[in-house]
This record gives sequence, C-alpha cells and structure tokens, in this order.
Amino acid sequence: MAPKKDPRAPIKKAEPAAAPAAAPAPAPAPAPAPKARPVDLSAVKAFGLFDRVGDNKVAYNQIADIMRALGQNPTNKDVNKLLGSPSAEEMANKRVTFEGFLPMLQTIINSPNKAGYEDYVEGLRVFDKEGNGTVMGAELRIVLSTLGEKLNEAEIDALMAGQEDENGCINYEAFVKHIMSV
Amino acid sequence: MDCHNQEEHSRPQEEEDIMDIPLDDPEANRAAAKIQAGFRGHMTRKKMKPEDKAEGEERQEDRGQ
Repeated sequence: MAPKKDPRAPIKKAEPAAAPAAAPAPAPAPAPAPKARPVDLSAVKAFGLFDRVGDNKVAYNQIADIMRALGQNPTNKDVNKLLGSPSAEEMANKRVTFEGFLPMLQTIINSPNKAGYEDYVEGLRVFDKEGNGTVMGAELRIVLSTLGEKLNEAEIDALMAGQEDENGCINYEAFVKHIMSV
Repeated sequence: MDCHNQEEHSRPQEEEDIMDIPLDDPEANRAAAKIQAGFRGHMTRKKMKPEDKAEGEERQEDRGQ
C-alpha cells in the first residue's frame, strides 16, 4: 500500500476569489407590485403639464385635476382633507412640489372606498323612478347641480352631450360605461 | 329660484322632481358626490386627451375654469 495521492481529493490551492454562488446572469427584476402601474412616470408627466409657472410646482387648486388626469376620481372633499382644509386663498396660491404631491396621490390611489361601475349604477338607480333602467336627463341635471358636490351648467352640458335619447331619457348603465371608458 | 318661471316649455315634471330631490339626505348627497367625482374624473381625462397627443401644443386656453 504505497501511499498514493487520492486523485479524487481536490488539491485546494488558494483559489482565486471567484464567486461560485452568484451566477453572472443579470438578476431578475423583483416581482412588480400589482398596484404599481407606471403611475410614477405618467405622474411626472402630468405634473409637468400642469405646472404653468415653471417652478416645478403646482397650485393646490390643481391637485384634484392632476389626480383625475392620472385616472383617479377623488371628491373635492377628499382632496381638501389631504391639503389640510385650505382656505380659498391657499387653494389659489399655495404650491406643492412633485415630492409633496406623490404621497397625496398615493393616499387617493390607496383609498378603500373607490367607486366602480356598480357603485355608479346603483347611485343612478336611486333616480330611476320607473325602474326601467333609465333616468330623465332633466332630473339628472337637477340632481347633479343641487346635491353633493354640485356640477355647474357647463360641466353638466359637457357631461350629458349626446347622452339623452329623443325622449330626454338616459340609459344609465350605458352612460356609466361611457363615463368609465375614459 | 323660480325655476317654473324660467322655462317656457311646459315641464311640470321638473317641478315634481324638484320637490322630490332629497336635498338634506346625507346618503343621497354622498351618492351624488361619488357620482360627481366619477364624472369630474371622466371630464378631466377627456379634456386631457387631445393635449396628450399634442404634448401641450393645444394649451392655448387657460384651464383655470
């Protein structure tokens, strides 16, 4: 039994520090959070579109519209709360940076009571006197201008353009689908 | 507000409806506000659309309505 070197035993010389574990292949991107649609990129863009002054800020009274442009449907009350119930003067004159705006947007995106198709249909069904799937355009106009966060006449006209049939009736399910398509 | 005097068209239905509108009902107001919020969102996005393509080209008028 001559002592022989065991050929199987690897001769461990000082190995250069090659990283055996990590593969050189590029690490796969972490699983994207489902609610992180590319809001941030379009948020930057929308924010920029609204900055009329060029100071990389927008006024308080533009916040709601930027959020709407980004697919949200905040009530004015939601936004006022976020802004700390500002006065009319503050609404017009106070400005916020994108960094200040983002968490507000996030709050609205994450808000639990967001209305969907069913909510709108149910809301309109309240005014469906005959239970036949239609509301009177005239009545809807009155509701929109006297209840809740009143719409003004121009807004109502824009909203209802082409929605009433020859009897002045609106099929509200179709109406809601139309509203939600944008 | 003399609504019934404004319109020459006979729309008696509208008077009834005015009486019917639950002005003080918080739930009706809440429902209305939700609907209005959805409408405002829709209208803003609709207004933005041509601007999106034109990238601000069409910003001729102030959107400060």
